[in-house]
Amino acid sequence: MADPLTLVYLTVPLVVGVVSGYLVRNRRQVKLEKPIVAIVVVLIFSLGFSIGSNSELLAALPQVGLQALVIAVLAIVFSVAFVMAGRKLVKA
Amino acid sequence: MIKYIVSALVFGAVAGYLVNNFLSGFPTTLIADQLFSVALIVALFVFGFSFGCDREAIRKMRQTGARIVVFPVLVALGSIVGGLVAGLILQLNVAGATAVGSGIGWYTLSGPLMEQLLGAEWGTLAFSANFLRELLTIVTIPLMVKLDKYAPIASGGGTTMDTTLPLIVRYCGKDTLITAFSNGLVLSLIAPFAVTAFASLV
Repeated sequence: MADPLTLVYLTVPLVVGVVSGYLVRNRRQVKLEKPIVAIVVVLIFSLGFSIGSNSELLAALPQVGLQALVIAVLAIVFSVAFVMAGRKLVKA
Repeated sequence: MIKYIVSALVFGAVAGYLVNNFLSGFPTTLIADQLFSVALIVALFVFGFSFGCDREAIRKMRQTGARIVVFPVLVALGSIVGGLVAGLILQLNVAGATAVGSGIGWYTLSGPLMEQLLGAEWGTLAFSANFLRELLTIVTIPLMVKLDKYAPIASGGGTTMDTTLPLIVRYCGKDTLITAFSNGLVLSLIAPFAVTAFASLV
């Protein structure tokens, strides 16, 4: 994903989606609940697949797992705390 | 919903492991990369579409101005401080641990980048820590959203423009789509610079 093109190929479908949704908003009600669940399941499955098939990651996790976990948890905790505090300050 | 997600993740991981170890010759990137990219592009279009149709979401969107600017800055700072504190607790090189935290969840970037800058050990740690950040975000979204509507966006960091976006929209509401996407986008631009900057202090 270390490719600037990634940013483009993710932004384009989103923008096209928003615009086309906006254009048809008065025509009819579209039910998107089920397709969204299906897409999310496919997405998470392929994410799981890339983890399971990554031998290097699976070999590395037992060695550095604890350190990695501490860094991940603290990065999450401080990010969440800063955003919650910031939301109170600027009322965002 | 979270049951489906965790099952899909577990089934995917088991399938990936089996295919990789017992079905030599099967192109694993077909599912890991191609299927993933296609599903992601479809997901972004569908989310965009359902957001565009929704007058309520668009009305709520008008109030998001400040969030788009403020969130990524706070999340980047939180990740940096988190890495720093973790470095102190674990008695690691503090600049190195801060660089790992600065990956902000983008493991496919921070892993190889840290490996290049500081060697294989730091690369492995950066990859694992940022991967765990994404995984923890995915499984804790239903809990975190109870803490604060935007907590999952803070937790997801750079991943909120792709892998964690569908779950965030699902649990935090359609009106969070643009905030989440732009948060991930800006953080994906910040991460490479932050990682390189802190790694250079080691």
